Amino acid sequence: MDFYLQQLAIGLSVGMTYALIAIGFTLIFGVLNVVNFAHGEVYTIGAFAGLLVVTTFAPPLLAVLLAVLAVGAFVGVGLERLAFRPFRRFSDEASLKSRAMRESTLMSSLALSIIAREALEIAFGSRFQSVPVAAMINQPIALGPVTITNGDLIILGVAALMLIGLQYVLRHTQVGLSIRAVSNNPLGAKYVGVDVDRTIVWTFAVGSMLGAVAGVLVGFYYGAIFANMGFTPGVKAFVAMVMGGLSSIPGAVVCALLLGVCESLSTAFVSSVWSDMVAYGFLIVTLIFFPRGIFGGARERV
Amino acid sequence: MTLLQVQGATRRFGGLIAVDNVSMDVAAGEIVGVIGPNGAGKTTLFNLISGFTPLSGGEIRFDGARIDGEKTFAIARKGVGRTFQNLRIFPNMSLFDNVSVGAIGMLGAGPLSSLRRDTKVATEIAERTWTALERVDLAREAHTLAANLSYGKRKYLEIARALAMAPKLLILDEPAAGLNDSETHTLAAFIRDLHAGGMTVLLVEHNMALVMSICRRVVVLASGRKIADGAPDAVRADPLVLESYLGVEEEA
Amino acid sequence: MSDRFRARLIAIGFLALVFVAAPAALTAFGKSYYWQVADLALIFALLAGSMHLVTGVAGLLQLGHAAFYGVGAYAAALLATKAGLSLAFTLPLAGLSAATIAVLVALPTMRLVSIYFAVATLAIGQMLYLIMLNWVEVTKGPNGIMLFSGMKFAGLDLSRPLPTYLVVAATVCVSLFVLHRLSHSYYGNALRALREDDQCADAMGVDTVRLKIEAFGVSGFFAGVAGALWAHTAGFISPPDFSFQTSILILAMVVVGGLGSLPGAVLGAFILILLPEALRPFGDFRNIAVGVVLFASILFVPKGLIGEVSALDFARRQLAGAWRRDGAGAEIGWR
Repeated sequence: MDFYLQQLAIGLSVGMTYALIAIGFTLIFGVLNVVNFAHGEVYTIGAFAGLLVVTTFAPPLLAVLLAVLAVGAFVGVGLERLAFRPFRRFSDEASLKSRAMRESTLMSSLALSIIAREALEIAFGSRFQSVPVAAMINQPIALGPVTITNGDLIILGVAALMLIGLQYVLRHTQVGLSIRAVSNNPLGAKYVGVDVDRTIVWTFAVGSMLGAVAGVLVGFYYGAIFANMGFTPGVKAFVAMVMGGLSSIPGAVVCALLLGVCESLSTAFVSSVWSDMVAYGFLIVTLIFFPRGIFGGARERV
Repeated sequence: MTLLQVQGATRRFGGLIAVDNVSMDVAAGEIVGVIGPNGAGKTTLFNLISGFTPLSGGEIRFDGARIDGEKTFAIARKGVGRTFQNLRIFPNMSLFDNVSVGAIGMLGAGPLSSLRRDTKVATEIAERTWTALERVDLAREAHTLAANLSYGKRKYLEIARALAMAPKLLILDEPAAGLNDSETHTLAAFIRDLHAGGMTVLLVEHNMALVMSICRRVVVLASGRKIADGAPDAVRADPLVLESYLGVEEEA
Repeated sequence: MSDRFRARLIAIGFLALVFVAAPAALTAFGKSYYWQVADLALIFALLAGSMHLVTGVAGLLQLGHAAFYGVGAYAAALLATKAGLSLAFTLPLAGLSAATIAVLVALPTMRLVSIYFAVATLAIGQMLYLIMLNWVEVTKGPNGIMLFSGMKFAGLDLSRPLPTYLVVAATVCVSLFVLHRLSHSYYGNALRALREDDQCADAMGVDTVRLKIEAFGVSGFFAGVAGALWAHTAGFISPPDFSFQTSILILAMVVVGGLGSLPGAVLGAFILILLPEALRPFGDFRNIAVGVVLFASILFVPKGLIGEVSALDFARRQLAGAWRRDGAGAEIGWR
């Protein structure tokens, strides 16, 4: 029993890291209805930025997070400029919703993600960069029969903060209102005077800030940062988003936790090398049998 | 001989009844118009016939056999050709390639026949395609991309694609939508010509003048129900029709 | 007639390049490494050609193509090492096993549209990759499989560079010819109609589901053949050859050359294999070059180096006949 409890705790903590990435990913998908393939690389860049800050200045964690937030916003704006804006040449409805636009942004974000990953690999090598022990967030904390780490608590706290903060921004600020408007109907929003281009830039900035923070937290949690670290979590975030019903952030978070727990419990039955199968299997099953996500018809946008 | 027989066709979308117990026949060689105000269920009725939307109740027979419940492509292969209200051409294909799809679908050209030198099928497809293109006077532009075509010509392209199927029944969904008066006039002459050539035509149209001028029989739908079925003059005089539809638009 | 003549001239030119000029030049240089690069370029031309059918012509965005390539490679390697079969058997059997897997994958996923289909293929590609990596009893996992026997056909030893190259070139050219027939004939038109508007194609009597599965199976078959060629030429296969990066590399070839264009896919494959080799003296820029070329081509030549329209025009001159009104009569149909 203790074993399962421990696996449950590990699963929740892994799931929480997926949730961190999924929030930003879902935000961008919900607004633009395009997949941002480079989100995994934003996460990697966040991790490397955090590592550089820690190794040069060794500041407290909060300062690292703030620095990474800034990097994330910068990367998000750049990403939007390079990979998405050039393909939004016309802002009529047909063009905004067109398959050509969706597919070319998919490819362009894919291309940028390759460039970013390979550039990081050339700059830092393909080996793991180890995080200074002092900066790591994995001090064990015993909770009865289960052991967790302070990193679990920090990730939980940050994820909760991100969710609440995001909901606040979306519901109670001008930017959030325009993000929701664009997500519902870009053309309608444009006609009533919302600056669609600026809103999309904001969405990318916010989504990428969240992605970058996720990267640095997960990097410090596991103590290993490498150029290719964004791929698998990126796919997991996508799985969580699809399972959660595509554009529902709370749905994505719940499914990310579920995914983490299932993966972790699966190691009780098969070797852990197969645990990624769980995610891919979930994705296929969801796509085929629950195309609207496992929570059914409720399709709340953003 | 009855070609198409719709009996008690019903379609519900949740609580809404889009088509409510509609029965109608189309005899071979006939040209029938379906009219009705917006939301009367005309396009839904067409989608039921061509298999895009499954029936909630009733049955549809074509050429003596039941077709409701069959797959869309199977219904098409039995001889139901259609066009769409919101033009659905294949924009990144040439006119020739667009129209050829109608013939290819009907003849079922598979991968093996394209590997063998199956000139019989190829010849048949090519001949049908060229004939249909010539019928709508687009043969000279056969190798331009459909995306570069003007709106009016796209309508004819869609009709040509349906004609290449050599259908027994041609369903036209609002062919005159978005055309000006003189274009509508030309189109009316074209449809009349098709009919004179022996084609059975079922036509949904908003433009009353067009329907009244080319159809021998008119079916009127309102709120999903059939309220009249008869010769244009009789329908025009029907008090029920006047009340629900013509009374509003007759001045045009 | 002169159109046909010119088209035939271009085809002969291509074959002369592949079968005469390239081997002559390679023999002159005499480095066995260059032979391997040439084999690789041809194998990827076939991979790009097979993906072209599904992604370019039928419009189904495929992000897991490398997995079918891997299935073919492992099938060939296992048949060669465990059953001692020669190339004459491993090539078709590898193709068939990859086609079988492709059809099994296609059956449940064909209902999915656009991006969801793409992600489903990504997931299935990753699942197959995990199987190659972790089913150690059969695939030997990360250690890979070594083929000691070399390439043999009907008792002939083909393991020297020139015969190996010729076998690869012949197989690739025949396969590309089949893909050319499929994508430029009327069958290709039906597939293009799926890409443009599958519901509408359905109403024209096109059996869309069956067509999609067929296209997927055919594409899987040729990817499997390419895998078998790779297993026999390289003599060693391991999972990283068939990872997501490879799928993206193949996709990039198809996109750079022009979606829907078979000559484009072949050209894209040559560029993306040979360019990094040319850059090798300056460091290992292979993967980043793929990203840069892909990005630049989406941005600056969105229709690809040889767009679909010109590719069709070119290919159909060779097919002649039915596409031209004046060619009606004896030359109707494709030859």
